[in-house]
Amino acid sequence: MDDPLLRIRGLTMTARTARGPARILSDIHLDIGRGRILGVVGESGSGKSSLASCLLRLLPPNLERLEGSVDLAGTDLLSLPEPAMAALRGTRIAMVFQDPMSALNPVFTIGTQMVDVARRRAPGLTRAQALAKAEAMLARVAIPDPRARLAAYPHQLSGGMRQRVVIAMALLAEPELLLADEPTTALDATVEAQIVALLDDLRRDIAGSIVLISHHLGLVAQLCDDLCVMYAGTVVETGPTAAVLAAPAHPYTRALLACEIEAGDEGRLASIPGEVPDPVAPAQGCVFAPRCARAEPRCHAEPPLLRDIAPGRRAACHFPGAVP
Amino acid sequence: MTAPLAALEGVSVDFAGGVRALDDVTLALPRGTILGLVGESGSGKTTLCRALMGLVPHSAGRILFDGEEQRTWQRRDPRGYHRRAQMLLQDAVASLSPRMTIGAALDEPLRIHRLPLAEGRARLAGLLARLGLPAQIATRYPHQVSGGQARRIGMARALVMQPDLVVADEPTAGLDVSVQGELLNLLLDLRAELGLTWLVVSHNLNVVRRITDRTAVMYLGQVVEEAPSRDLFARPAHPYAAALVAANPALHGGPRRPRILLQGEIPSVLRPPPGCRFHTRCPVAQPRCAAEAPKLAEIAPGRLARCHFPFALAGAAA
Repeated sequence: MDDPLLRIRGLTMTARTARGPARILSDIHLDIGRGRILGVVGESGSGKSSLASCLLRLLPPNLERLEGSVDLAGTDLLSLPEPAMAALRGTRIAMVFQDPMSALNPVFTIGTQMVDVARRRAPGLTRAQALAKAEAMLARVAIPDPRARLAAYPHQLSGGMRQRVVIAMALLAEPELLLADEPTTALDATVEAQIVALLDDLRRDIAGSIVLISHHLGLVAQLCDDLCVMYAGTVVETGPTAAVLAAPAHPYTRALLACEIEAGDEGRLASIPGEVPDPVAPAQGCVFAPRCARAEPRCHAEPPLLRDIAPGRRAACHFPGAVP
Repeated sequence: MTAPLAALEGVSVDFAGGVRALDDVTLALPRGTILGLVGESGSGKTTLCRALMGLVPHSAGRILFDGEEQRTWQRRDPRGYHRRAQMLLQDAVASLSPRMTIGAALDEPLRIHRLPLAEGRARLAGLLARLGLPAQIATRYPHQVSGGQARRIGMARALVMQPDLVVADEPTAGLDVSVQGELLNLLLDLRAELGLTWLVVSHNLNVVRRITDRTAVMYLGQVVEEAPSRDLFARPAHPYAAALVAANPALHGGPRRPRILLQGEIPSVLRPPPGCRFHTRCPVAQPRCAAEAPKLAEIAPGRLARCHFPFALAGAAA
């Protein structure tokens, strides 16, 4: 990618545990293009949410080691002094969390919370100006009667409405980078479809880039330009979503796709035998080798690096599948 | 057709405060089949399961199990009912006591039902092996087992009772796709091996389409459509079922937005809309829908829907 918004290089994070240091993220190399939506997929424990927290530099209390660099348009987020980093959160980087109820303060109205966000971004705004911006943004995320909603408390709104409010608040910050961690998981299917349609609409107006973390491959296929597949704290494959889904190169991506149930499937259901590796005692070679159907001696001895396998596509595998 | 193993006939469940959680539900579970139950939160799926299990009383209609009314069972042989109808709870880890070993948790149903322990334990050993659990798991505590293992332990605990009916509330929720397939294969195998009848509640439409024989769709306490799963997913008759099927994003076929987008969210069960309960969100509602509540009726052989204008949205969803 020529001039990515975000450039992650060699990001490694370990945490202290009773059994010794646990490898949470290891040697992550990832670019996020300007104006692109990147989907990050992987099973629980693959490091998706840890990666998002790392981008906001919200680090676990038992952090042992943090290495590498996270470069946001020329600013290295890992070496930034804490006050400068704090100023960046909610302005240049915003986040939408899974549970909209816990992301909103129950004792303040929607209007008060949105005014706070708007004035954090533009401190010169009067309350009236900030409220006007908030109202316009609520209308933008298709909340009916936005003026009345500004006076509402979070508990007076339904789950879908709350998540729209949280998205509106994130957009009010006009972030360069919007992180969305499972933004529709807590919602019902027909409401999820509404939020997905909303994000799909908004993508055209948002100048910045979006990172969508999800375990739901169908959702990612629908929304994301690029795909990043994580396994055991590493990136195993990246590339344009349609290309990766059409011809996955990494055996883990292939196995994950085979587990998805699709219309017209027959016969036995697929699964991936074995277990996710222990982060305290990681394997010598490729992290996926113990579960890989086609692992060879080299895979158990030598970890593969994430490398170019075709234009725009990278995989961390000694024997990647053929890519057209 | 032989008599179904269990059936609900016009069943309603009322809670305090005038909440009708289940309204006039009719549903049959033919022996040896898997029925899927789908619908959004608040639609009454869990209440239906609980009513079927005899855990909440119904205020109208009858629940039949093996030819006899549930109330008769509860009078004559309540333990027998609970032995033959088992439920797998959604949160498999939370349903195991953190202070009991897995072995003690597995023994518990045998003690409650005063079954011979030696014989039950022999059956458990066979079940653990069949479910792919190591025998040593009996000495572990719940925090030492994985989510997938906890579900298998729940299955073993249910199956040791040799039930006829197993109700599974969200059997794959919270499980990674990598282990989901294995669990569903097991569920299908157990039906064949033990002749079990399953009621599977899930919000995952892909899972329901794949493993069930028939599917019932619930909305605001009512069954709005029930049909062979293949037909329902290929050509839903009720507009709500059509919207639900359309909301399920497909993996292949590129960026595609759902062609049916409902407005708003499920109304409160405290004040269900008059007429058809779905008419406030229905894209094809007519004046009649607001005035007159439709009944669950056969709209095609083997297909039931609660709609004045079935298939009105079918073209859009196909």
